[in-house]
Amino acid sequence: MEPVIQTRNLVHEYKGGVRALKGVDIDIHHNDVVSIIGQNGSGKTTLVRHFNGLLKPTEGTVTVDGEDTEGKSVSFLSKKVGYAFQNPNHQFFCETVKDELLVGPKNFKFSETEAQEKLEYVVDLLEIEDILTKHPMTLDYTRKKIVSIASILTFSPKVVIMDEPTGGLDEDGRKILKNTMDLLHEQGNTVIMISHDMDFVAENTNRVIVMAEGQVLMDADCQTVFRREDVLKKAWIEPPQITQLGNAVCKDGIFLSVNDFVTHFKNRITT
Amino acid sequence: MKPIIEFQDYSYFYPKEEEAAIKNISVTINQGEFVGIIGRNKAGKSTACLSMIGIAPHTIGGDWIGNVIVNGILLDESTVGTITNHVGVVFQDAESQFTQETVEDEIAFAMCNMGIERTEMLNRVKKVAKDCNLTDFLDRSPFQLSGGQQQRLAVACLLALKPEVVILDESTSQLDPIGRDEIFSLVSKLHQLGRTVVMVDHNIEKIAQYTSKIMVLFDGEVKLYGDTREILQQKELLNQYHIRLPQVTDAAYGLKEEKGFTTLPITLDEAVGAFSNEDKKGGDISGASYSNEKSCS
Repeated sequence: MEPVIQTRNLVHEYKGGVRALKGVDIDIHHNDVVSIIGQNGSGKTTLVRHFNGLLKPTEGTVTVDGEDTEGKSVSFLSKKVGYAFQNPNHQFFCETVKDELLVGPKNFKFSETEAQEKLEYVVDLLEIEDILTKHPMTLDYTRKKIVSIASILTFSPKVVIMDEPTGGLDEDGRKILKNTMDLLHEQGNTVIMISHDMDFVAENTNRVIVMAEGQVLMDADCQTVFRREDVLKKAWIEPPQITQLGNAVCKDGIFLSVNDFVTHFKNRITT
Repeated sequence: MKPIIEFQDYSYFYPKEEEAAIKNISVTINQGEFVGIIGRNKAGKSTACLSMIGIAPHTIGGDWIGNVIVNGILLDESTVGTITNHVGVVFQDAESQFTQETVEDEIAFAMCNMGIERTEMLNRVKKVAKDCNLTDFLDRSPFQLSGGQQQRLAVACLLALKPEVVILDESTSQLDPIGRDEIFSLVSKLHQLGRTVVMVDHNIEKIAQYTSKIMVLFDGEVKLYGDTREILQQKELLNQYHIRLPQVTDAAYGLKEEKGFTTLPITLDEAVGAFSNEDKKGGDISGASYSNEKSCS
């Protein structure tokens, strides 16, 4: 099956000569739920900004849904690839949350009825009915993050990119985000998440791309990645605490959640 | 122990809000403590921080009942200016606090405003830059620093004013693991040097590792306040306030009966020690230390 996003020898050089991407080849397939991890400055955000045309390759190619992004506008690509910024304050410009949520449907010429249906669906999904009339900039950080994601979902892009979505989220916000990601996956969307939150990555994505210094160090499933201490060290990544505990006290298996760990020990005690 | 910040039956209402953001809280933070404030969003954590430095109500406005006493100064007798001699705060978005062209000027800026004598000012810049590991960046623009470096700079700026209390309000939430560890290590060092540290953070693993006390806020009320280890033994209660345990503590809780833990480990080192000793019942974690011993085979 053709990847929904493909990069080949993708190089990006910012003005001033900083080479943020140094030849990246990745394929992201329909319905993948992928995390991109790596320290600040490793090229994660630069990479995903090529997917909706916010950045253009200095060298190499990016294809979205089989089409080369060369010459394609941000608005054209954004219909397929929605991008929720790391800092939600950079994303808002309307005076109410409701207006903010309707920007996408209006720009993409949804009918009134369709826009309203999308709005109601997303409001219900993300539990934000009570803030529709509020100014987005007056919300607390968690709600801002949720609204920034909601404003992407209202125009139903095939691919949803979330840049550091759990930063500043409390446990309730994380649960809402988890449910949203699960639902997007069930609906057949592709989800790409940039994150420093390894607990969330381990429990909620099935594929991890590790980046360092503008290159992909590893691209594999969570269990394989979190087993590779050498790669993680090179990328300055610390596995989830429960994985570290498992690695320290258990020769067999890799534990990505507390439940995995507890179940393993209970089984071992009873057998 | 000497109280450094005391909330006395304190409630605070933001302008035009009928419901208090902080509701009748009475707690004392003593000199030299490292207090972690945890709770879900809108629990009142940031409002508590703003009240400790007088921004609420003196800058923001709004109404209050009761009192906040900072190093002996009553809230209604203070200004933000007088309190900043005692308390410094770093917010989530450190970058928005910067106004100067170089790191050196940024550290000196508040001291200039306070009229601190030039030689003294330069000495302090040098010292806090060293303490915060910023000596190599003094000529650089604050806006060219990494997230962790920017947070360290924000801490350096407040340390230059020699506050007795350092408050960090979700300062690590946007940082990568290195940046986050840099900040926790820095404030831990400040704590060891005798400073009082108050830290709001959602990273319960780090809160467990570094703080001596935890304050749990929920809907504007202080629900729990006490020794970090004791607070983190109470899973059901914490869950009621939408707070989870550190992963290793949660794992030990799930195996409490099987392993016979009487006290749950709260850090990775402790958990490795507790889980490494297969035969041990009773879970004495006090002497546990990290090792790579593989004991589950």
